[in-house]
Amino acid sequence: MKYMIHAVKMLFKSAMQYRASLVMQVLAQFVMTAGEMLAVVVLLSRFKAVGHWGAGEIMFFFGVMQASFALTELFGRGITSFPWFVQRGEFDALILRPRPLLTQVLVSQLDPRRIGGVTVGVIAMLVAGSRLNITWTLTKALLLAEVVLGSMLLVLGLFLIEATMSFFSVKSIEMVNILTYGGRTACQYPVDIFPGVLRFLFTYLAPFAMCMHWPVSWVIGAPMLSLPTWAYFLTPLAGAAFFALMVRIWYMGVRQYRSTGT
Amino acid sequence: MMTKLKSWRPYLTVFRLRALMETQYRAAALGGLVTQVFFGLVYIFLYTTLYAGGSPDLLRDTITYVWLQQMFFRMMFSADGELGNLIMSGGIAYMLVRPVDQHRFWVARDVAGRLVGAMMRLIPMLAIQLILPKELRISLPDGALSFFQFAVSLMIGCVCLCELMSIIDAVTMKTLDKRGISAILNLTMMTFSGNVIPLTLFPDALQTIIRYQPFAQALDAPIRMYQHCATLPQWALTVAVQVGWIFILRAIGRSMWNRRLNDLIVQGG
Repeated sequence: MKYMIHAVKMLFKSAMQYRASLVMQVLAQFVMTAGEMLAVVVLLSRFKAVGHWGAGEIMFFFGVMQASFALTELFGRGITSFPWFVQRGEFDALILRPRPLLTQVLVSQLDPRRIGGVTVGVIAMLVAGSRLNITWTLTKALLLAEVVLGSMLLVLGLFLIEATMSFFSVKSIEMVNILTYGGRTACQYPVDIFPGVLRFLFTYLAPFAMCMHWPVSWVIGAPMLSLPTWAYFLTPLAGAAFFALMVRIWYMGVRQYRSTGT
Repeated sequence: MMTKLKSWRPYLTVFRLRALMETQYRAAALGGLVTQVFFGLVYIFLYTTLYAGGSPDLLRDTITYVWLQQMFFRMMFSADGELGNLIMSGGIAYMLVRPVDQHRFWVARDVAGRLVGAMMRLIPMLAIQLILPKELRISLPDGALSFFQFAVSLMIGCVCLCELMSIIDAVTMKTLDKRGISAILNLTMMTFSGNVIPLTLFPDALQTIIRYQPFAQALDAPIRMYQHCATLPQWALTVAVQVGWIFILRAIGRSMWNRRLNDLIVQGG
């Protein structure tokens, strides 16, 4: 853990060396995510509601998704760019070091540009939150923090699938992306607006509903399920479980690993 | 300035070569196909919820719009990093010794990659329509004439798009760093070409601006005619706007290319 914090600190420092370039790229990410927000606003201005969800509620879900996803990309760059790592044969160097393997991969890189995306997500949540007149309590704030953490682990787990595939096929496989980026596009809306198959996929297989939609719906005062309060604290753990499972599979892949050589 | 060949032959040849090359990327085509169908279905389910209780005709139009956008996705977004590689590696020097109009050469190459890439994904995507339930399927065009208008405008639109892209390439040549600017341009493109949400769903007050801006010429203009056959004056206006943009964008693109190529520094040795 100490090693992780140290490494992340160093990465932030190195990113700060090119301050002007960093500011530009953060700004670019901000504009891009704001553009996606604009698209949702355009839809809401025409249709007023998505199913039984009002504009404020939809905006809050959007904010949670953008913030969690961008945070994952910020800290998970080591995993998202893992296929290149393997292709260049640089993974071999990590195996030799006496530190936990996955931790090393995770902290090998950082993507500070994503701060722009996180900012837009937070703004969306703040604006939507004030429109919905949420009375904030400590319980709600804690649950929201857990939601973001759980969702980050879920997305990181999805990125790990791609990383694991790279052990078996040197070419990156585009199809694996559909759960990650498809999930990002689909699940910025609560799952219950989708028909059975997609709802099943994003509730049980890639559990965005458990990590995000169920607890968030309780936070904004429009619960999708009638569960007792404590149960909402349990469902985001699905993200942690998903991540743990993918870590196991990734380590199985490591055992299969043959270097591409240099 | 070196002499340039007047004939069309080199441009036709590079068109043919790039088209042939594109047919080799079958695995990429398959991967793209799965992604496009998945995203298409997600959007269609979303619009089905949005239009619930509303007009079934508008829903059907929107579904058709989404499918056409997904079918021609490869035309709109081409991941051809060749020019960037040539600049970074210094290989661009070989490109420059060819006695051709560099701008036209590059645009011809781009049109080929985009058209053929789109065609390769189009046929399986149409086949998939047959196994989809009726309420998720693309609708037929408004008639034979409407389909003809669509096809003609699509070809013109593709050229227009490549002229637009050549301007972006010229910007890349200057900055060398593609990531920041191309990310923003990609999003602008996706939003204003109708990929994120159909341009027909933008506020009615903005429709006049929305449908005549350059990004709409590639795919939005043809799709509108696929859905509703244009009257003769409407058709003339649409084609005139498309061709007009081609001339404007070409003039800008050309002058930028000439300026860039004149003060280009060849990297490496």
